[in-house]
Amino acid sequence: MTVLILTSEEDVTADMVVVHLNATGVPVVRLDPADLTGRVALSGEFVHGAFRGHLSSGGRLVSIDGLRSIWVRRPGVPAARAAAPSAWLTEEASQALYGMLRGCGARWMNHPDAARRARHKPWQLRLAQRCGLPVPATLITTFPQAAREFADRYPDLVVKPVSGAHPQDPPRAVPTSRVAPDTDFSAVAFGPTLLQRRVAKRADIRLTVVGERMLAARKAVAEDADPDAVDVRFAQSTAPWRPVEVPPRVAAAVRAYLSDAELAYGAFDFAEDADGMWWFLECNQSGQFGFVEVDTGQPIALSVAEWLARPGPQPRARVNGVDSAVR
Amino acid sequence: MEPFALNYARPAAELEATTPYVYDSGLQLNVLFDGRIAARDHGLMRELGTTTSTAGSKTHFDD
Repeated sequence: MTVLILTSEEDVTADMVVVHLNATGVPVVRLDPADLTGRVALSGEFVHGAFRGHLSSGGRLVSIDGLRSIWVRRPGVPAARAAAPSAWLTEEASQALYGMLRGCGARWMNHPDAARRARHKPWQLRLAQRCGLPVPATLITTFPQAAREFADRYPDLVVKPVSGAHPQDPPRAVPTSRVAPDTDFSAVAFGPTLLQRRVAKRADIRLTVVGERMLAARKAVAEDADPDAVDVRFAQSTAPWRPVEVPPRVAAAVRAYLSDAELAYGAFDFAEDADGMWWFLECNQSGQFGFVEVDTGQPIALSVAEWLARPGPQPRARVNGVDSAVR
Repeated sequence: MEPFALNYARPAAELEATTPYVYDSGLQLNVLFDGRIAARDHGLMRELGTTTSTAGSKTHFDD
């Protein structure tokens, strides 16, 4: 049976997994839904109570019922590179592709329903709380007065996007940034704003979970680091990521989180404070892992490949992400 | 009238326009110009930053 990988061609992180799958002889079909109706084609037939579906890409043809697992890595927008792209064609292509795939018994990393839900940061924070992970005091609001009152209670704040997305018109990055106590919060009225108590961290933690396997890495904050550079993604740091053990209580909470979220894969970001406590910041359901493996040598790509290569489909998924995950 | 969070925005740093590898649809892998598989060269991956947590930000939420 075949592993289906939905991602873009330039995704070299996916390459790291394909290399391992190739080494073990597991059949792989990799395609980008953006190429639908061009280099990617599909067909599905519902006749006499049976379904027969196929996908083709790059000269490969695979039966949808012959899929053992589906890895939704970095897929493009369906039909985005079609000869005559349109929002309507994208919706048509999306419904055809994902609709057929949803009906098969393959295991998902991660199921689209679970993935969509898991992207919502307010939902993440609530689930993390329920699972026993420490969450910094957080406010999401469009009320300037609420923001001012929150800043009075927690004078050392950061702001970050609610969605984690970055604006594209023009392309800009919105790093997690410190907010001065005397800041004018009136612009809070123009968009939901996420304010969070800053964790005075001594390290960033990236915990990558693949199925049951947990691989944690730690990046120490340099003593002379700029105190305003709070976002590890944008900070100038030469400190490498190093492997670190996961505290048992954190491991149990993370396991509960992923079970409730019905995710097979999650990349958790924590801030480690001076007492060694790991504060939950977010869980990216499709977070990058290549940069961690490159620094630490941890076998993350191998773990993903092994998870995808497990034989046998899972029981049929239900609607709304219920029972959509991931054994 | 800009949302509060955009007061902290900065110009996006674009990845290098050209990468020293190209996708091979037969292998389903990116291949360096000398024929080696790009993903096996961790030094290069680190240098290019194409596997970092900001590499997919333009089109994806999840880093």
